[in-house]
Amino acid sequence: MSTLTLPPLPGLVPCARQLVVPIVEQTRLARDTYRLRLASPELANAVVPGQFFMVRPPGQTDPLLGRPFALYDVWLDASGEPGGIDLVYLVVGKMTGVMRTWQAGESVEIWGPLGNGFPLLTCDKLLIVAGGIGNTPFPAVLREALGLHRYGTEAGLDHGPRHVARPLAPADITLCYGVRSAEFLAGVDHFESLGIDLKLATDDGSRGHKGFVTQPAEEWLKTHTATPAAGRTGPKLAVYCCGPEPMMHAVARLAAKYQAPCWLSLESPMACGFGACFSCVTKVKQPDGDWDYRRTCVEGPIFPAEVLDL
Amino acid sequence: MPNLAVELNRLHLANPILVASGTFGYAREMAAFVPFSKLGGIVPKTITAEPRRGNPPPRTVETASGLLNSIGLDNDGLETFLAKHLEYLVGLGTKVIANIAGHDREEFLQMSGRLGGIEGLSGIELNISCPNVSGGVDFGVDPARTEAIVRGVREVCGLPIVAKLTPNVTDIVAIAQAAQSGGADAVTLTNTFQGMAIDWKHRKPILGNVIGGLSGPAIKPIVLRMVYQVARRVPGLPIIAVGGIGSLNDVMEFLVAGASAVQIGTANFYNPTLAGKLVDELDAALASEGLASVREIVGTLKTP
Ligand SMILES: Cc1cc2nc3c(=O)[nH]c(=O)nc-3n(C[C@H](O)[C@H](O)[C@H](O)COP(=O)(O)OP(=O)(O)OC[C@H]3O[C@@H](n4cnc5c(N)ncnc54)[C@H](O)[C@@H]3O)c2cc1C
Ligand SMILES: Cc1cc2nc3c(=O)[nH]c(=O)nc-3n(C[C@H](O)[C@H](O)[C@H](O)COP(=O)(O)O)c2cc1C
Ligand code: FES
Repeated sequence: MSTLTLPPLPGLVPCARQLVVPIVEQTRLARDTYRLRLASPELANAVVPGQFFMVRPPGQTDPLLGRPFALYDVWLDASGEPGGIDLVYLVVGKMTGVMRTWQAGESVEIWGPLGNGFPLLTCDKLLIVAGGIGNTPFPAVLREALGLHRYGTEAGLDHGPRHVARPLAPADITLCYGVRSAEFLAGVDHFESLGIDLKLATDDGSRGHKGFVTQPAEEWLKTHTATPAAGRTGPKLAVYCCGPEPMMHAVARLAAKYQAPCWLSLESPMACGFGACFSCVTKVKQPDGDWDYRRTCVEGPIFPAEVLDL
Repeated sequence: MPNLAVELNRLHLANPILVASGTFGYAREMAAFVPFSKLGGIVPKTITAEPRRGNPPPRTVETASGLLNSIGLDNDGLETFLAKHLEYLVGLGTKVIANIAGHDREEFLQMSGRLGGIEGLSGIELNISCPNVSGGVDFGVDPARTEAIVRGVREVCGLPIVAKLTPNVTDIVAIAQAAQSGGADAVTLTNTFQGMAIDWKHRKPILGNVIGGLSGPAIKPIVLRMVYQVARRVPGLPIIAVGGIGSLNDVMEFLVAGASAVQIGTANFYNPTLAGKLVDELDAALASEGLASVREIVGTLKTP
């Protein structure tokens, strides 16, 4: 038999597992927005920022399928060890409506970690653009970027323990976070406590900039891509974005205009989360200039904006 | 230890628990969840002669205890399948049954001829029942076409042949009889039921392809009825049952109704470790019933 040397399929996570884990607590963070705290040191040690989990109530058929939720962050127990994971969800439909009724002590079925996660940070200045519930991947991203926690420490991971060689200072990170109205803002106290440059926007002007979050994002891009003084090179930039599709498309166009590398975290509907069903596809550009439908759950959910056929 | 082996004419399996086409990817995707060598067999995603992009998203939507899909046979085509997935699949220590769909009889014959010469494959499942391919003729609704395709494949391909039937017919028994006349070693009952979901506020279908196929617990009673009818009325034709199986009780019901083997489909999505666990659970259930072999329970339904 010949030994084929094919690259492993991107994004398959060998350390993914299916577990039934207990709920530690549920906390309301904002209007229709809750934080679900789950106990599972295993999952906490395996996951990296930008990955997600599939969640469902065990032993039921309606709702039937798991739903994808991004890692919000890993929580530490009293001894400072990872005790489990936090997920934050917005109530929008059948499953999230059921999730809201879950109580501490009950169990949930969960499989993951899944997906590729954000690339390991190598930039000097990071712009994060979050729209609505699209802010959920970023607490973990920020904690890693600031050098405050090491993710993916579990031995035997294909991606290995993640190590950010040069953590950023809080002042080098800007988070532009936009929601419909101030009552939907979740986790703002936490973001403020990190000392990062936080720019809030609301559609109705009830807090921060009135209008789209893309406006402060464009100002940042304009400032940071201004021609550097003679003899100096500009900072290495990165833009991370998650939110409603039209917003992500707008951010991708802006990043392209200012030639800043940009990654989008897509929220395609998913049935399995691990590559088996081919339902979560998005158009991805191919080397021959054409496009193909690719699975968001394994090749993403995070894609460099330039490979997406938006 | 009860004997779990089953023989479906020329197709011999170590146990009756298989996984269904289109719900297990190319197996790689399930490596973190399922010890493959435990399974009776794997049916990878349908292969077509040429690459197909598949249907536009949204491709799936959940309904009450069910899943509607319109994936549209998204795959890279036969030659890429052979180059990229075959070697991995046949090295997993379980039987691999390739599932193919052709545009017409000729294409079915060409593909099965090519696959017949491939070492390591244990059988071929003919998808004459996919509801998601616009323009394609649904061979599985016509007994004469069904028989002609199965017979033709049998002539060009030495592998055991399983015909996967569509439930979207008036008389499933007639189609099963046609598959048997054509020389099928077994039939898989069934593919998905045509259905749709509507977002009435926007006056729009939810699926990108408008119509899709329904699977999951919602369809189980209907498939159970079809398995029962075919088992009673088409003697000598082994049945592989697939439709809403999500637990060992579901497996046992299908065996009692007359299936010789089962496939786990949609349940792989919402309970990815299930298929691997069912083999041990089946073993334990047969032992507790005092049965020496799984064959002793097949078709044991007592009807008035
Ligand atoms: C990688 C990834 C990470 C994610 N992370 C998060 C996260 O951290 N937090 C979070 O809150 N969400 C997240 N999501 C989105 C989340 O998965 C969905 O909000 C969730 O699946 C909704 O489930 P549900 O059953 O409550 O809604 P569903 O009932 O499935 O509805 C989903 C959406 O479809 C609409 N819809 C449903 N049925 C119909 C119908 N008949 N007609 C019209 N519209 C309909 C609903 O209004 C809703 O907007 C993520 C998604 C992905 C892919
Ligand atoms: C997302 C999805 C994709 C499927 N793709 C295929 C396919 O490519 N070929 C095929 O023969 N059947 C396909 N099926 C049908 C299943 O193999 C099975 O026959 C059907 O789903 C009923 O079983 P279940 O209720 O256990 O899922 C697919 C089903 C689903 C849900
Ligand atoms: S969600 Fe099933 S393949 Fe991506």
